[in-house]
Amino acid sequence: MNQSMNKFGRHAALFWLTPVLVTALATMECAAQETVPQPVSAVQPLKLGGGGIAQEKTVPVIESGAWKGKRLADGQPDISGHWSNTISNHSNFTDPQGRIPGEPVRPGVAQRALGARGDRAPSRVSDPADGQVPFQPWALAKVKEFQIGFHNPVKPEYIEPLARCAPGGIPKSLYWHGYEIAQYPGYVVFFFSSGTRIIHLDGKPHLPDSVKLWNGDSRGHWDGNTLVVDVSNQNGKALFGRSGEFISENGHIEERYIFDATGLRYNYVALFTDPTVYTRTFTVTIPARKWTEKDKPNGWHFEVEPTKTADGKLALDRYERICAENNGGFGLGAATTK
Amino acid sequence: MKTQKVLHSRMQSVTVLVTLFLLVMGNGVMAGEKIPRLPNGKPDFSGIWQTTSAADYDLEPHSNRKDAPPGPGIVDGNVIPYLPKALEQKKKNFEARATLDPAQRGWTLGVPRAIYYPEPFQIFERAEDLNIVPQFGHSVRTIHTNRTDHPLDPNDWWLGDSRGHWEGDTLVVDVKDFNDKTWLDRAGNFHSDALHVVERWKFIDVNTLEYKATLDDPQVYSRPWTITVLLDRHREKNFQLIEDYRYTLDYEQFYPPKPAQQ
Repeated sequence: MNQSMNKFGRHAALFWLTPVLVTALATMECAAQETVPQPVSAVQPLKLGGGGIAQEKTVPVIESGAWKGKRLADGQPDISGHWSNTISNHSNFTDPQGRIPGEPVRPGVAQRALGARGDRAPSRVSDPADGQVPFQPWALAKVKEFQIGFHNPVKPEYIEPLARCAPGGIPKSLYWHGYEIAQYPGYVVFFFSSGTRIIHLDGKPHLPDSVKLWNGDSRGHWDGNTLVVDVSNQNGKALFGRSGEFISENGHIEERYIFDATGLRYNYVALFTDPTVYTRTFTVTIPARKWTEKDKPNGWHFEVEPTKTADGKLALDRYERICAENNGGFGLGAATTK
Repeated sequence: MKTQKVLHSRMQSVTVLVTLFLLVMGNGVMAGEKIPRLPNGKPDFSGIWQTTSAADYDLEPHSNRKDAPPGPGIVDGNVIPYLPKALEQKKKNFEARATLDPAQRGWTLGVPRAIYYPEPFQIFERAEDLNIVPQFGHSVRTIHTNRTDHPLDPNDWWLGDSRGHWEGDTLVVDVKDFNDKTWLDRAGNFHSDALHVVERWKFIDVNTLEYKATLDDPQVYSRPWTITVLLDRHREKNFQLIEDYRYTLDYEQFYPPKPAQQ
């Protein structure tokens, strides 16, 4: 027996919509519909909430300050649980509820009405005020090249690496499906849909510079309601999304995860610095909310299977995350043996 | 006289108690050593662990080969009790191991292989679960210790479904609902999706775990069989896992974009 898909897909990370797939589907679609041309469906408004990717379109204000909530035995603020961003996925970094840049109109596929820019969530770049990554000219040219190439990936670098099952990296992992944050003495651990980040709280030095990693090397500490994380040793390979923004292996990220008094929200506010790619430091802001046993599981933000303990309590099983092995048409072209 | 007798008998009792204590502890931690425990009193296996054995090259005893150091094996009774047809498959796997071993592609090692693969793995333990993060690959295995049972409507998972409970200071884990795509070592030892594993984890001393796993698979083996391996705690200063997403190596040179002069 091979893996079965049931419910809304216990292997939610299986489905990786890549340009190749889009192209292939579009081609098949065109072939099948050659004799009956389909008009473009009526535009649809942005739907918020439910189990959908877009939950909200605003970023709440959360101030740094003291933590007055529950603490774990080791003294850390207790923020463990299932979390997910509230705005959108990685289709567009600076216009998260807009379309993939340069997305072609496909026959028969409904397009969403975008309306005015102010009707959608703001850019994830909260500083500078124009919401754009302050790229150096060469880097901006590369991003624009990617945004065209993405829709016709004639070079391997036009494939968004997540479509090859690469780890999501920073910051993309924070807006690619929900994730679990678990806390242990000396650690905060992010179990992402694609990759794991271990934040070391014990103050040990970073790895030597020569070691480069998809998720970088993270050192953190708690400052009141804020988890402050210093990230170095990045390989810069993950890209920020289907819009192609990136950092290089010379980049440095200073993250602040600011939790509100309810413990049900946090804002990710991070300074990105890279003298080889950007003209100045800029700020990335990503709002997130917690999902608990009071919420209905869904296939994007909250991929859990409710189960009962022997004494009748509700527990949440997190689904197995597997990608490379199942990614038949992509990446390594994984064909199973035997 | 009477006092002496009492004293003598008391000493006898103490001796008996000490003997009993040593007998009880004989299969576990050395007397007097305190193992780490969670606030709930259960043994805390949290830490970074690795085997020094050559088990991953071949679970069975083997001489040296061009692609493997020799090893005494970790199978109780030395030989995996394959059914005749399965033994043929194992031999084919062995011949083609350089290309067919899933680990060569950076794929999920599975259960129990991730435990004795020659790279460190980290255990993150809480009252309700243990999360096992191998340095190699991308997989995260959760052993639930929250008194839940296997799902009624399971998939065939790469890592199976792990439900654990404590028998004294031993963690006993029942693992099933596997797929058939992982290997047990790089010598081509294998299983089907009917694999059922029962693991027993315990401290030998504060820096050593004994790991036992009994494997049952009526489609592949003639009877259940058991492996035993010791795991050493990494105690080097500032030691940490260094992510090893090996399956990305074939394409990572395409990222990130670089300036023209480079």
